[in-house]
Amino acid sequence: MTGQEPPRNPQDDDGPPPPDTGMGMTAVAYLIAGMLVWGGIGLLVDHWVGTKGIFAGIGAVVGIGGGVYLIVRRLGA
Amino acid sequence: MTGQSTVLAADVPFPPSVEDFYLPSIVPWGGHDSYWFTKITALLWISVALIIIFFLVTYRKPKLVPTKKQWIAESIYGFVRNNIAVDMLGKRGINFAPYLTTLFVFILLMNFWAIVPFAQISPNSHIAFPAVLAVISYVMFIYIGMKHHGGLKYFKHALIPPAPWFILPLLIPIEFFSTFIVRPFSLAVRLFANMFAGHMLLLVFTLGGFAMLNANVWFAPFSVVSWAMTIALTFLEFLVICLQAYVFTVLTASYVQGALADEH
Repeated sequence: MTGQEPPRNPQDDDGPPPPDTGMGMTAVAYLIAGMLVWGGIGLLVDHWVGTKGIFAGIGAVVGIGGGVYLIVRRLGA
Repeated sequence: MTGQSTVLAADVPFPPSVEDFYLPSIVPWGGHDSYWFTKITALLWISVALIIIFFLVTYRKPKLVPTKKQWIAESIYGFVRNNIAVDMLGKRGINFAPYLTTLFVFILLMNFWAIVPFAQISPNSHIAFPAVLAVISYVMFIYIGMKHHGGLKYFKHALIPPAPWFILPLLIPIEFFSTFIVRPFSLAVRLFANMFAGHMLLLVFTLGGFAMLNANVWFAPFSVVSWAMTIALTFLEFLVICLQAYVFTVLTASYVQGALADEH
């Protein structure tokens, strides 16, 4: 149908993905999501316990750690 | 400066506001109680009609040695199929090439209205259009994932990363949030915000030129600078238009790729 043939050797699943396949976006999304989710949960805990933000802080740090771990496992492997 | 431009400048509101995105009604002309048909609506239908007619005409009698129009249509399709679909999805990408091409061409044309003289606003600068496109991509990648992995197994695949069990409670909420909540928002907002900001920038510099012309005789020469900036920014807009259409398509393909990915 089209002039060009589709590429003969599309990259197989084991090879590295081509550049600019949204990996940067995924990484940033993991970082922000980690911070927001666990920071948010920490904020709720703060609200519940009556502290002024210590759990939100801990949550954000833990969440961003989780985000980094996810990036390493999902994108770095 | 000439009297005419001063008169013209007198009724130019500055600075521009969000109100400038809500255009007057066309049918009924200038009506205030019915906004079912505005320039945005007109541009949307013109875009749809243009795309349908263009591809019908160019593919009507395909020749082995393509005519110029056929060559253009084939190049667009070939670009999306080879550089986006097959590159990211492998052989299965060919199945998605028609949808991705439609998406790419539609967003490109809808964005392009932002710099077409007399149209000069993109329907995508209203969040409704990017939102619907994002919902389509969202439903599609979830459906494809469920079909590929078999129902709820997809969610197990998407939510549970390869990690030791004691860290999973920490990771699963992050996975859920980033995959099923952030994705549609970031898709829609990225396209919308780019088109909104582009239109706003052009408005600021165009109307700013008039405002300076109107303000003070010493400011008047700088209105020329402002309009020169408008021209430069129009070229920047062109870059943004193409880039955002490409990014939306690539990200949709990347989400489908994630849904189709097997365990590793």
